[in-house]
Amino acid sequence: MPAASGSLTQPDNLANAISSEAPALEVVDLWKKYGQNQALSGTSFSVKQGERLALLGPNGAGKTTLIRSMCGRVKADRGQVLLLGRSIREPDVLQRMGVIPQDLAIYSDLTAKQNLECFGQLYGLRSRRLRERVSWALKWIGLEDRANDLTSGFSGGMKRRVNIACGVLHRPQILLLDEPTVGVDPQSRQRIFDMLDELNQEGTSIVLTTHHLDEAETRSDRIVIIDHGKVVADGTLEHLIESTIGARRQVAIEATGLLMAVPSGLERDASRNRFVCFVDNVAEELPQILDRFQRAGGVVTDLEVHQPNLHHVFLHLTGTELRE
Amino acid sequence: MIRTVIQTSWRRLRNNPSELFLTFIVPMVFFSIFALIFGSRDAASSTPKIKIAISNESPSELSERSVQLLEEQSSLRISLPNPSSGSKSNPSKSPTFKRETAQDLVRRGMVSAAVVFSAPKKGNPSDDLPKVEIMTDSFDQVASQVLAAIVQKAVMTANAEIAKTKSPAPGSEPRSNPVVWARHINAMATGANFPQPPVVEVVDVIGGKKANPVVAMYASGIAVMFLLFSATTASGSLLEERENSTLDRLLCSRLTMDQLLLGKWAYLTIIGAIQMSLMFIWGALVFRIDLLNHLEGFAAMTLVTAGAAASFALMLAAICQSRMQLGWVSTIVILSMSALGGSMVPRYLMSENIQRVGLLTFNAWALEGYNKVFWRELPLNELGMELAVLTTCGFVFILAARIFAIRWERS
Repeated sequence: MPAASGSLTQPDNLANAISSEAPALEVVDLWKKYGQNQALSGTSFSVKQGERLALLGPNGAGKTTLIRSMCGRVKADRGQVLLLGRSIREPDVLQRMGVIPQDLAIYSDLTAKQNLECFGQLYGLRSRRLRERVSWALKWIGLEDRANDLTSGFSGGMKRRVNIACGVLHRPQILLLDEPTVGVDPQSRQRIFDMLDELNQEGTSIVLTTHHLDEAETRSDRIVIIDHGKVVADGTLEHLIESTIGARRQVAIEATGLLMAVPSGLERDASRNRFVCFVDNVAEELPQILDRFQRAGGVVTDLEVHQPNLHHVFLHLTGTELRE
Repeated sequence: MIRTVIQTSWRRLRNNPSELFLTFIVPMVFFSIFALIFGSRDAASSTPKIKIAISNESPSELSERSVQLLEEQSSLRISLPNPSSGSKSNPSKSPTFKRETAQDLVRRGMVSAAVVFSAPKKGNPSDDLPKVEIMTDSFDQVASQVLAAIVQKAVMTANAEIAKTKSPAPGSEPRSNPVVWARHINAMATGANFPQPPVVEVVDVIGGKKANPVVAMYASGIAVMFLLFSATTASGSLLEERENSTLDRLLCSRLTMDQLLLGKWAYLTIIGAIQMSLMFIWGALVFRIDLLNHLEGFAAMTLVTAGAAASFALMLAAICQSRMQLGWVSTIVILSMSALGGSMVPRYLMSENIQRVGLLTFNAWALEGYNKVFWRELPLNELGMELAVLTTCGFVFILAARIFAIRWERS
């Protein structure tokens, strides 16, 4: 192991070379092929300093390869990944990144404290600095009182918190989280996102991959959707909605007494008595729709107006076909 | 319900190739290994031969002929002196060693025993028979007993052949002379002319003075086998780390794959050395193994053996795809190596072919080294070959582990 450097883990020459203007992370035209499978096909996007970015995509879209490329574990066939303006292949650049794998990448036969000490040392922390950071991490994840317990006896949520803490001990400037809340209860999810918000408020950029679209909606500043190894959407939630579905609202009506004929402009949903349509202006178009139902002899029993959300955008962009 | 349980269990077994292999193939593999060791089909060519050296200190017609007869024995492999070495005892027809050289060969384990023919003692009932000593290494507990019988037979045969060639002159044959015939019959009746077998004195040149010789032999065999088992079990942590993405996290830190493997190798070597040391300390305390007087050789052998075992374990882990696969692969490989290498049964009991195959195993070299330290009490410089082979093995294994681990870096 190289000797521990200064107060933190960043060599002076690196600190000098990093521009405050540079994006925290920049993925430039990444290509990667495994055999016949083209996992990445020119993926490009960037993450600003202090930004929270959600990275979404269906199974097999290339997310895992992308994440592994971003943290240097996969060497792309073409393209590059820049961290604060410098290639991740340069020495010590990756020290500014924290990686939280989806799996519980901790030692179950070590205590929480021993796990933190282990990963802290691997990131170059030593002696007093290490003790301080471990102590901070235990407090941050709310496990001070369980510090000396083996993690094998922890609940899923507690293990997840230790898993996250192991990746942030060295105070990374950007944090990659691969589905950090898989298999945890709502309380633990809330706690984990509170922890991440705390880090973000201190200036850490966050890249989060998740299948919980509500997490992406509420916990990110920007969303990138990838499919077939390419970025298919990149922007804020509002921007994505505007650029895909637009301002239209989905109207869902349940009705009885209707003949087989479906009122014009509506589609019968999977359920026989449910009809859906999209409207650009709810105030103007909804009364006309209800009038058509009445004339067709139907009795409206329920009515819902949905604002488009990330779920609609995601399915609109990636389709509904199963990928596995 | 019971039928469902049986059906489900069978389906699970059928869908698990490694379990199928362990259940049905591995027993046959081990049976074959032990059958090869103990029940060789080609007995004539592969039965273990006793390797001996011969010293003929007082050449006579009888001793010369006895040596010739021993050389003709198919069950013996005679070690001959180097013509230019000057270790020959005499310029007789069959070159033999000096007594001291033959004894040294036994001490070094180059031969299992040495046969020394010397001048007969005065007043011996069979005055014309040479004095025969078998200097033996009791490490091979079978050789001395078999050899004693073979030597007696050779001397008796040689004696009879010589007696036949020295037949009485015409007219002096007992049957043609009633007086001589009567004397001959009388002598036979009292047993005076009945040929007496030579007295063969067996001298244990190595184990005779040892407090508990057998334990010293087996301690290393058991220790090396369990060293391999514990090292491969511990090396499985590498696969566990890969399976739960900890390896990814480790390699995203400052740690490189080289450092990870070297760190694990150092750890396994230290643990292995402690394990071996504890076993021998226990052996010294309870079973009177003379550890204190062999510390230098023990330390050298333990260090290189533990290092090579650690490398071997890491190589197996790097080759395997999962911890479960490592479990059954290591069980098969280690048990096979232990059987062939002498950890389970002494190699001298195996056929010559299997003994040669055994030299391809890690265990055989380690056991030979410990044998030289504790049994033959040879100095450190005599362990050169064993230390060199084990060090080379360790280096090659860790290099192989590094090469196989490349796929984890690139995956």
